[in-house]
Amino acid sequence: MLCENCKIREANIRYTEVINGVKTEHNLCSQCAKEMDMGHYSAIFDGEFPLAKLLSSLLGLEESSQKEDKLQQITCPICKTSYQDFVEHSRFGCPDCYHVFDLLIGDKIKKLQGNDSHKGKQPRFRKMEPVSAVTGNENAPVGMVVTETTSRAETITLLKARLEEAIEKEEYEEAARYRDQIKELRREEEQNG
Amino acid sequence: MVKWFEQKAESEPNIVSSRVRLVRNWDQYRFPKTLSDREGEELVKRLEFGLKNLEELDGTPYEYAYLEELDELSRRALRERRILNSAILNKKGMVGLIVSRDESVSLVLNGDDHIRMQFLSTGLCLNELWSRADKLDDYVNARFSYAFDEKYGYLTSFPTNVGTGLKASVTLHLPTLSLGKKFSSLVGEMSRFGLTLRGVYGEGSENYGSLFEIANQKTLGLSEQEIIDLVTRMAGQLNRQEKQVREATLTNQRLEREDEVYKSYGVLKYARRLSGKDGMIFLSQLMAGADDGLIRVKEPCSIYRMMLGIQQANLQKLSHKPLGKDELDMARAEYVRKELPELA
Repeated sequence: MLCENCKIREANIRYTEVINGVKTEHNLCSQCAKEMDMGHYSAIFDGEFPLAKLLSSLLGLEESSQKEDKLQQITCPICKTSYQDFVEHSRFGCPDCYHVFDLLIGDKIKKLQGNDSHKGKQPRFRKMEPVSAVTGNENAPVGMVVTETTSRAETITLLKARLEEAIEKEEYEEAARYRDQIKELRREEEQNG
Repeated sequence: MVKWFEQKAESEPNIVSSRVRLVRNWDQYRFPKTLSDREGEELVKRLEFGLKNLEELDGTPYEYAYLEELDELSRRALRERRILNSAILNKKGMVGLIVSRDESVSLVLNGDDHIRMQFLSTGLCLNELWSRADKLDDYVNARFSYAFDEKYGYLTSFPTNVGTGLKASVTLHLPTLSLGKKFSSLVGEMSRFGLTLRGVYGEGSENYGSLFEIANQKTLGLSEQEIIDLVTRMAGQLNRQEKQVREATLTNQRLEREDEVYKSYGVLKYARRLSGKDGMIFLSQLMAGADDGLIRVKEPCSIYRMMLGIQQANLQKLSHKPLGKDELDMARAEYVRKELPELA
């Protein structure tokens, strides 16, 4: 069937109009259909299919403005994961990605999790600047946070683990230091019960 | 050694098992996805070395293995028993496995994240599992400092795990509740509480065996205890609702129920071929009947063990060879005939 408007091209769109209960059918080619004003349906013929747009915006690939383009290119210096990679796979490459993309992901994480700040458990042992001065525990291993609640037994366990690792890495000087610290703590333990 | 799923649960019928999973990363390495093979191997070896005396923590013996050393079938069997998840199953590079003899505690090293700890038990006991997980977590943390952020909490590969890294889930048997029209709206309502409810076995919208798992969807913004309490409460709620509708069937449709359970028992006892779907349906009906006292079997807790046992990879493993579809259905019927408890 030929297009009823141009009568040249094959009609490939059937457009049914219902006005005040009267139904009329039009058979048009896509070019003529595009030129006719059919309200928001015209967008369908505008090359880009809106469904695809809808999907990618759901997944975070919003219509790219220049600014967005720049954001897509932000890349984590540690693991080389780009923001675009993150959006596509919903997956971080390393712990540093969280800081690199911090401003960009805050809203997304909030949307996903309904919240954006952690409220639960904190690690009992952490690597930080030496804080032995803070707790006054001179036997705390260098680089470990020893909180008030960290018992002597726990510190010993911790030191033992460090000792094993130091031996494995053949860092004997460090290992010796851990060994002495453990000895010291054990002695304290015996004295104080 | 008796596996965790072979142990008798103290708690309610309909509540099959509980599970707690914690995800952690060591701050010395990038996440597994961006590690080279060599780095991944180094990570696994170092983690394993640090955790080689895990036994001292709770006195349970542990076994250490690498995923690549296991054949395809063993891996799939581990998947069926929930030690592995499907994403890890086909992962390239070295993946370490530390599993307690009874399989109730397992650690996966260099899977989606550096360390995935999992605790399983029969019955409803998320609180107990969490306190054990908490202890193991501290033990691991004493050896490996975690990737942690003041704002986002424990950092993980997927933003869906960040924060607590905790997933708490309970598997329930809901044969009657799940038949009701309101059930699908119940599934929808769960998400309002930040929970998911999904069928454990079956494809697409079909469910075989009426086993459902309720779990927290969100890992950030709630404390571990709040998550545990929420899942425990909702699992209890589902259990109560199931009990109510089941009690109604015992007065209104007693004959149908009795007929159903004895027929299921008969088929399980004598069938020569059993498809996976039929096996699950009949075992589910038997489980419901045994829980409601319509039939008395000698070891009611063995029914869940059989549900795990009739899965494909396990049957193939038992017969030490790959099986065609007919052979598989025969092997399943044979397994069930052997394992089915006697009537008391």
